[in-house]
Amino acid sequence: MTSLPSPVIGAPGRPSWKSEAVGVALAFLLMALLPLVFGDTYTRHILIMVFIYAIVASNWDLSLGYGGVFNFGHLALFSIGVYAYGLLTKAAGVDPWVSLVASGVIATVAAVLVTIPILRLKGIYIILVTFGFAQLVMQVILSQSDVTGGTQGMVRIPGLYLFDHNMIRDGKIGYFYIALALLFLSTVFLRVIVRSRTGASIVALRDNEEYAISRGISLARQRIITLAASAFFTGIAGAFYAAYQRNASIDVFGMSLATIILSMVLLGGTSTIYGAIVASFVLTIFSEAMADFGPWRPIITAVLIIVVMLAYPSGLSGMIRSIWNALAGRLKRPDAALAGKTEERTAA
Amino acid sequence: MALLEVEDVSKAFGSLKAVDGVSFKVEAGEIFGVAGPNGSGKSTLFNVITGIPFGPDRGRVKLGGVEIQGKSGNEIARLGLARTFQRETSFDGLTVFENALMGAGYGKPGRAESEVRERAAEALEFVGLTSVGFGRLAGELSVFDRKCLMLATAIAMEPRVLLLDEPASSLTKPEIETSIGLIRRTAERGITIVLIEHVLTFLMSLSQHLMVLNQGRVLAAGEPKTVIADERVVEAYLGTRRPAA
Repeated sequence: MTSLPSPVIGAPGRPSWKSEAVGVALAFLLMALLPLVFGDTYTRHILIMVFIYAIVASNWDLSLGYGGVFNFGHLALFSIGVYAYGLLTKAAGVDPWVSLVASGVIATVAAVLVTIPILRLKGIYIILVTFGFAQLVMQVILSQSDVTGGTQGMVRIPGLYLFDHNMIRDGKIGYFYIALALLFLSTVFLRVIVRSRTGASIVALRDNEEYAISRGISLARQRIITLAASAFFTGIAGAFYAAYQRNASIDVFGMSLATIILSMVLLGGTSTIYGAIVASFVLTIFSEAMADFGPWRPIITAVLIIVVMLAYPSGLSGMIRSIWNALAGRLKRPDAALAGKTEERTAA
Repeated sequence: MALLEVEDVSKAFGSLKAVDGVSFKVEAGEIFGVAGPNGSGKSTLFNVITGIPFGPDRGRVKLGGVEIQGKSGNEIARLGLARTFQRETSFDGLTVFENALMGAGYGKPGRAESEVRERAAEALEFVGLTSVGFGRLAGELSVFDRKCLMLATAIAMEPRVLLLDEPASSLTKPEIETSIGLIRRTAERGITIVLIEHVLTFLMSLSQHLMVLNQGRVLAAGEPKTVIADERVVEAYLGTRRPAA
């Protein structure tokens, strides 16, 4: 019998666990060294925001890219994390770290609740329900202004702590590494899911729902798993955002943030996880670099996204893959030419 | 007791009765053919039996004596009723091996991970897909290979009954010959087969029993040779005879 591809989801054409783990470790090691290069708090702040966006965008890629579920309530899950953390720490006096994890759990429960009505829906109807869910969450927060602050939001939300480390006057180094650690955990979590049999079944349902069901895959179960899994770290990212900014505002429900995060998912290339993370870096840093252009900034950014998507419909990940393949082809060519000459000589 | 029993099953879409009071029984181990002209309700019959994407409006479907109508499609699959589709269908974003894993892993509950992998690989080898490469994306395969892959994902489930919906459609003559051999070998594994095909010669070479549908109703059923000689079947396929001048 043919030797079986190992691990479960791993075969020629897919990177092995080992090579992927080495790549991820190197990438995060490089990111961990960034504070040595960028000593100013502004750059560190930008990087912290990149990490938060990267968590939200890569988790959205799980439901939207891998699952094919047009979940336009993803940012509501982030917002639930923001407010859950604010309420737990400020109103209920719960420990910030406990609140951080609890916010992820609350967002996960919310995702399960919103999944139930969309189980039998497709396409535009999922968008409608999930968009409605986001509006509903916002209205609930606005209506409970006694505890949520309504349109004023919540301020002086307790921040995170690291033993006796001063998180306020440390040049943002504490928050930088917590954000990086959260991104690392989220990325490992997502990659483990998408490389597992569960991840393959999520793709199977996306590719052909009826065929997947005919092979015993439960649409309800897998869709709940997909949305719940994509919600956990999104909620935690929201909680971290609230802890870092020390405030919660209904701005997190705005179309502006949703558009930015969706742009990251699409620009990075769906169904990769890494693409969304790379796009978070590219878009955030590019947007900051364009700061002097004032109102032209979003226009230039939008044009850049359109140009990249036109040239590479599979986004930045597709672009990187093309460049990689081209380089690999060039490196192989001299050998191939040499082999061809050897064959000619042998024939002669 | 028959392995698969379909009793007075009907399905209507508005005023159109796609399947109208169809009943038949399939014995364990046999290849049961279902024929009929285009639009006669063959594929709809498979849909209502498997619950994918819909069950019957009325009637009963029993698998091994257990009523399965009303259960969800994935539950029916896990009980041992697998199907293929008329068009070549695959999970294009997954590799060949991952496609087979879906059937081996989800179609037969309770298997250990190592057994799931072994069953998937064995099913792929059985249909002859070893040479295309386990790591190749299914979307890159030819029509015939995708049909074979669809069959492999079903075999990996080790179903009790396998419903094959026009396995010969879109295939070349040599590919059809290969398919006939493959279906015969699938039956030899102990899998009971219900086979839809509108090409009668294909059905004749495989089926032990034949049922012909027309406009959602059973037109004739029984021994294949007797059925195709039936005047009503000839009429349904070829139209009425012109009276001699």
